[in-house]
Amino acid sequence: MKLYHGEPNAASLTVMAALFEKGINAEFEAIDLCAGERHDLPITYGVEVLRSVEGEGPVLVNNGEAMADSVFIGCMLDESKGDATLLAGDAYRRWQIMVWCRHVIERVAPAASYIGNQAYLQDALKRMSDADFAALTAKIAAEDLRGRWEEVRQGDFTEERLAECRAKIVQMVDKIEAQLSGDWIFGDFSLADLETYSWLRGMLSLVPESFDGHDSVIAWMGRVQDRPSVAKALSLSVTGSPEKAWPVGPEINRWG
Amino acid sequence: MTDVTLYHWEPNANSGKPMLALAEKGVDYNSHYLDLLNFDQHDPEYLKINPQGTIPAMTHGNLMLTESTAIMEYVNEAFDGPELMPSDPQARWRVRWWMKFFDQWFAPSVSMMGWNWFVGPSVRERDPEELAARIERIPMPERRVAWKKAIYGLFSEEELRVSQQRAEIGITLLEEELTKHKWLGTDEYTLADINGFNLGFALPMSQPDHCNDEKTPHTMEWLRKIYERPATKETWAKGRTELASRVTFLERQ
Repeated sequence: MKLYHGEPNAASLTVMAALFEKGINAEFEAIDLCAGERHDLPITYGVEVLRSVEGEGPVLVNNGEAMADSVFIGCMLDESKGDATLLAGDAYRRWQIMVWCRHVIERVAPAASYIGNQAYLQDALKRMSDADFAALTAKIAAEDLRGRWEEVRQGDFTEERLAECRAKIVQMVDKIEAQLSGDWIFGDFSLADLETYSWLRGMLSLVPESFDGHDSVIAWMGRVQDRPSVAKALSLSVTGSPEKAWPVGPEINRWG
Repeated sequence: MTDVTLYHWEPNANSGKPMLALAEKGVDYNSHYLDLLNFDQHDPEYLKINPQGTIPAMTHGNLMLTESTAIMEYVNEAFDGPELMPSDPQARWRVRWWMKFFDQWFAPSVSMMGWNWFVGPSVRERDPEELAARIERIPMPERRVAWKKAIYGLFSEEELRVSQQRAEIGITLLEEELTKHKWLGTDEYTLADINGFNLGFALPMSQPDHCNDEKTPHTMEWLRKIYERPATKETWAKGRTELASRVTFLERQ
């Protein structure tokens, strides 16, 4: 098993920490997702990586198959070794975790990526030469993903959309606060805690107002960060500031 | 006596997913039809059950569940009956990958065209003031936007162009995938097939130039095989509009 991962942030952080949570041995190779290195790996690409709705996430190669989509990789890892821990419990609790993660995937991740891309990635892409950027995007199979790269380089961000994205982060923090009654979102630690934390960690500095007056959420984030699995994943950062690494993410829902 | 009630619209898209999963599992359920075109899903009585005002929703004893794909996984785990997920974790990942690809990429495009063609025109003729009041009652802001666009025909040409392009790409990718295994992503019949059928059963009619016996033979055979299953026949018989009755197109000649 080999994981090609970006900086321990967002989707990459989920998979890195999930491997450590489960104690599954895998070879780790850091790649620069923000430079498009995911499209240039020595692997056999299948539809699952080329057309992943997640955008520029990590790629796990297992049994020769290149896998994408961090939440479902997390499910697979949990189902692969020992008792369930990331998705433990009865069918109803697993339903709760899957619905929660779907909300993060579909609403929070695109919003956080938009905010993170605006803050950090666009300047890096603007510094690239036209030829280098064209060479990079030529390797991207999915039209919509290629389009998002182009929008970031063009600085195609609107205040209205940024405000909508910030509102989604505020809503997510409110939602966590409303759900927390003990240490974790659904009783024991689960994939919901990990996935939510992975996308929100960088929002602490980018949308700090979301966390105002939400001490219980800040404390919860501290508990996630202190887990050995998460601490170990964060220690693998190449840049020292993984919260600033925002590769091109999932698309903002076209239906609004 | 069953303690399962499913609140659903037509056997089509999101409503059809838990309907078909329940039927495949052999679970007896109270079928509570909500007429989407009459905005039944925003009635105060239903909002007491599902405050989000979305369809489908399922109650099991005192539990209330929403989100069609997650409900299917729950149904598969919570009830006896045939297993609808593969046992191999990597095959399960593939099943979930395809369901996400359908739910978040392929189906929204197909459904945008469906809303533009069927849902919008079906309700547009109502009294404008009543319609406006109905829209204001929708709990989720994103659903309010979607309804406005459908009712007033506000999907832009560019949005519809992208949706058409994605439908064509989705049809091609699905056809390629169906050459690899007996069923979608694996050799067992799973929730991915149930999910995909709900998205795909009408494609031979809505996209006849792209989804047909010549261009997508594996997809056509896959759709026909699913249509022939007793659970599918039983479920589609619960439909009340031409959305569902189109399924008979899949009868073998």
